[in-house]
Amino acid sequence: MSTQLDVSGVVEARKSREETLATTAGAGRQAWVPATLLAVLVALPAVQVFDGFNYVLHLGLYALMYIAMSSSWNILGGYTGYISLGHNVFFCIGGYFSGMILAYTGISTLITAPFAGLVASLVGFGIGFITLRMRGPTFIISSIALLMVARILFDNWNFVGGANGVTLPQLTIDVQWAKIPYYYAMLFIAAAAVYCSFRIKHSKFGLHLRAISQDEVKAESAGINTRFYKMLAFAISAFFVGMAGAVWGEYITYIRPSIFLIILIAANMVLMSILGGKGTVAGPIVGTVLLIAFNEFFVATLGSSEINIFATGLVMIVALLYFPNGIVGTLAQKKKLPRFLDWD
Amino acid sequence: MADIVQVIILGLALGGVYALMASGLTLVFGVMRIVNLAHPIMIIAGAFVSYWLFTLYGLDPIVSMPIAAIVMFCVGIIVYKLIFEREAASAKYSEMTVLLTFAVAMCFDGLLGTAFSNTQRITSPFYATDAIFLGDVFIPTGQLYAGIASLTVIAALVAFLQFTRFGYAIRATTQNRDAAQLMGVNVGLVSIITFGIGVGLAGAAGALVSFVFSFFPAKHWEWIAILMSLVVLGGMGKLAGAIIGALILATLAAFVSTYIGTTWSTMTFFLALFVILLVRPQGLFGDPLEES
Repeated sequence: MSTQLDVSGVVEARKSREETLATTAGAGRQAWVPATLLAVLVALPAVQVFDGFNYVLHLGLYALMYIAMSSSWNILGGYTGYISLGHNVFFCIGGYFSGMILAYTGISTLITAPFAGLVASLVGFGIGFITLRMRGPTFIISSIALLMVARILFDNWNFVGGANGVTLPQLTIDVQWAKIPYYYAMLFIAAAAVYCSFRIKHSKFGLHLRAISQDEVKAESAGINTRFYKMLAFAISAFFVGMAGAVWGEYITYIRPSIFLIILIAANMVLMSILGGKGTVAGPIVGTVLLIAFNEFFVATLGSSEINIFATGLVMIVALLYFPNGIVGTLAQKKKLPRFLDWD
Repeated sequence: MADIVQVIILGLALGGVYALMASGLTLVFGVMRIVNLAHPIMIIAGAFVSYWLFTLYGLDPIVSMPIAAIVMFCVGIIVYKLIFEREAASAKYSEMTVLLTFAVAMCFDGLLGTAFSNTQRITSPFYATDAIFLGDVFIPTGQLYAGIASLTVIAALVAFLQFTRFGYAIRATTQNRDAAQLMGVNVGLVSIITFGIGVGLAGAAGALVSFVFSFFPAKHWEWIAILMSLVVLGGMGKLAGAIIGALILATLAAFVSTYIGTTWSTMTFFLALFVILLVRPQGLFGDPLEES
């Protein structure tokens, strides 16, 4: 294949890495770890039979949402190397699309979430058409500007309630079980996002993306349609974020720009991926679990939301300075990655 | 006609303040290629210095401008020493520093928010709500003084860059870092001091911002995009470009605010940023942008 000749560096690196994996790890990938994890997560709502575990379920749901979003972000930010600090725009679009359908027709977001994802990816494709012409720091700045534009638009769009937002109807089932449908929906989205991220990493499309992240000009001269693949990556990474937004909107029963379009959400997505290791499959999951545990600890001990922003920033600085490749990435570089974390 | 003159005057007065806000940003980018997303929160930190000096000791914000600048200069040096110095050798330097400054911005946002809470504040010296009338048009005195003070500081900055030895060193480093180092310029020292000056300029701008705009810690996210649009329009790293960009866009925003609606005036900056990045990413006066 002529397209692969000039990205031979990438191909070779991949081949040699797979060889070392095969020799050091012996049997290669371990599928039972994600499978067990998934089984545990599927079984988790059973604790609710005894009632009083709503907090556990909420935390699980919240973590799954961020796993879906940071894995999704990782497709653009990790594999392709385009760091977006305004990715929660798609979170907002998904939330508003499904939320408005729910408010006007009563159709649950659990049904419309895939369409919300599609709308988010269509918008992502369009936005990517414009902003992906820029590269490096310029792209990051444009993504922040995108967030600001979206915030002004949603704050002043009266049809969707402006800055006050819209209250959504609640499910009429018992409080004891009320979180479970959303929990499973988020679990499904998160699993799909991680699986998608895994499949992309092991496909030719993933190779194209990594070639783009390493040297876009060379990738293009090697015959890769960089423009199209970048936009596709942007659209896919918007898809799961949009779906997560749809379910999250109904779960918290109201949608408002100040819930979706705050910079902390975008920062969390970026930080979780970087902390865990951007460009790896397991990285965003590790980062999400760590950061949420850290956040909960901080809220429990200090209890203020603004100190939380400070803590997030501080963790981000430390992670960037000392683990620029993230936990999974750094361990893999030192060949000390435990086998249960090696999902690549 | 008088209407249009009025709008232009209001725009230019605000543009003067924006110019000072953007000058530190563009200086730091010029010397170190750091896109300092933490610049706006430093402005707000400077505004808090002036605010407390005014509230506690009744010190006029324009008088306290040097104090805010010096305090923020020290903060800038500490931040640079702690965080950015070691990044100079990093391969993904420009991307890395953007993320780092973003994290620094979050830290300061959280700190200021915790310490002073996210309520709107404004210092109100006696001239802040006054206006001078010249025939049909009026000039708000607060904005006029702020504009004059800001242009004075910028003039001082330009004189410093043009006529002192250290200014030569800074300009040489901006033009070509490696060549400057070969010519015996202590590039490391220049970087530290320039970062300090950049943040110090943010502090000085903050003193003016404290009575021209109302401020609260979380407001800086909006200013990131606003200041970026000014700097990008003029060409990243070009001081004159940033000043002209500030004057142009502030005037444009004043027109939008008068004829379309106040809500949309900030939108002018964001849309302008997109358009500039698309049509002419190097800005009006800039050299083509280096891509990492």
